[in-house]
Amino acid sequence: MFKGLTNVAAARVWHGTMPVQYLYTAGVAGERFFQTLRRKGVFAVTTCAECQVTYLPPRLYCERCFADLSEAWAEVAPSGRVHTYTVVHEDQDGRPLDPPQVVAFVRIDGTSGGLIGRLLHLRPQDVQVEMPVDAVLAPPRRRRGSMDDIAGFAPRRVLPRRPTP
Amino acid sequence: MKRKPTRRVAVIGAGLSLFMRRALDTGKELAYYAASQALQTAGIRLKDIQAVVMATAPDAFDGVHMKGEWLLDGAGGVGKPYLRAYVGGGSGVFSIISGWMMVASGVFDLVLVVAEEKMSSCQPHPQGAFLTIFDHIIERPLGPNLLWIFSLEQQRYMAAYGIRNEDIALVSVKNKHNALAHPAAQVAAQLTVKDILDSDVVAWPVHRLMVSPISDGAAAVVLASEQVARRLSDRPIWIQGVGWCLDTSYWGNRDLAYPRYVEKAAWMAYEMAGVTEPRKQIHVAEPYDPFAYKELHHLEGLQLADRGQAPEDLARGRFDRTGELPSCPSGGLMGVGNPIAAAGLMKVCELFWQLRREAGARQVPGNPERGVAQAWGDLMQIGTVAVLGVR
Repeated sequence: MFKGLTNVAAARVWHGTMPVQYLYTAGVAGERFFQTLRRKGVFAVTTCAECQVTYLPPRLYCERCFADLSEAWAEVAPSGRVHTYTVVHEDQDGRPLDPPQVVAFVRIDGTSGGLIGRLLHLRPQDVQVEMPVDAVLAPPRRRRGSMDDIAGFAPRRVLPRRPTP
Repeated sequence: MKRKPTRRVAVIGAGLSLFMRRALDTGKELAYYAASQALQTAGIRLKDIQAVVMATAPDAFDGVHMKGEWLLDGAGGVGKPYLRAYVGGGSGVFSIISGWMMVASGVFDLVLVVAEEKMSSCQPHPQGAFLTIFDHIIERPLGPNLLWIFSLEQQRYMAAYGIRNEDIALVSVKNKHNALAHPAAQVAAQLTVKDILDSDVVAWPVHRLMVSPISDGAAAVVLASEQVARRLSDRPIWIQGVGWCLDTSYWGNRDLAYPRYVEKAAWMAYEMAGVTEPRKQIHVAEPYDPFAYKELHHLEGLQLADRGQAPEDLARGRFDRTGELPSCPSGGLMGVGNPIAAAGLMKVCELFWQLRREAGARQVPGNPERGVAQAWGDLMQIGTVAVLGVR
């Protein structure tokens, strides 16, 4: 039997790293999504008529039936509803975030999907599930065709009336 | 092989994306091109598929951790039993072995097998992803990479049998030439042995043109049980035998001049296929050729040439497309390209087309009735073999 090591601090270690970086491509569908966002400030989506699914992010094919969607494009307004959200109190290194950051998953109207984004211009205690929000986009000449073009989502100006108790 | 599988399995469709240095398309999109083409040639739709196998090599290539799962929708696996087959470079051939098990076992009748690799993502070179496959304490301090290891192995092969580098360069000439007839090929060319040996020495004796390229690409096949294959296809190609085997993980403890693990895998597949004299009973071969010498190495391991004799057989034209035993009529990894897992499955696709006599300008003469495809990988230690035939 090997004698167990009882003092972990005594274990010698070797340091290592996996030294690679990446250049990703957005793909055929992804590239069109970002170019449309940059030029027009709207979301490009694809629709499978047979399965009645509108893909956002857009896909070149229907993942349910494999229909070719390369000619099935449409555009939707960059707005939707808060499907769920979280309030982040610490950053990735455990440092407190002040003020806390509200991150939501927003279902985009007219699609079967959505996007994650920061919720802007509101206090954490004012967020509600199903609250309508609009994307806050960078000004046209500063957009580069990437997710950074979407600063976040902000409450739509006219809020729905709350049901009275 | 102690027991014979009870159900026979056929390939009834095949598809391939273009192989290229850098695709705009995502790995999912590449997988979709190959998979949808395979379904189309099999005359079926995605809803008919009962399970999906996806072969894709290290996550570090695409730069997506757990990329097998990430590729799910491009492989047509959403909402279905799905399995990632992963044995490194051997994954392409292992993918149909995995699919074969699903059908031979009686669990499924129609399985879609897809293989994808998008190596262009990895910077500065996919080689970097391999720096960590060596023992982190014993070997890595010296900074070995795959090219060193291949060069050491090729040198041992040459020294053991008195082989010249010119003999090995001929593999690049043959395969790059064969690939001229392949519509998906990335690095097809008409070159001479001199051209190969005039290219840069990467790590002697390996020259740049003796190494397969970095590639993006995908391949796919549809597997069917016997009953379903006979209903759907008038020319099913049968998987007659499969085999695989791993040698020790310590590359320094292997026989570098001869791939014993390929021999073991080959005999497993041959026994299942009822092949007793491979050189007579195999009519077309697609051995794995990521480096020029590897095709020769593997032909010997596959029992298709005597040890140390493959270079001589090659020089006298035995492995030409019109030769006695065409080897890599597709153009192989040296000519078509090497999107790792997809390259292995591309070899299976090639046998499918060759045995159905649908290979067009690449068609080998005569009436090939049986072929063997082989891939190699993991930590340079696995042989994966599949024998396919017309009956």
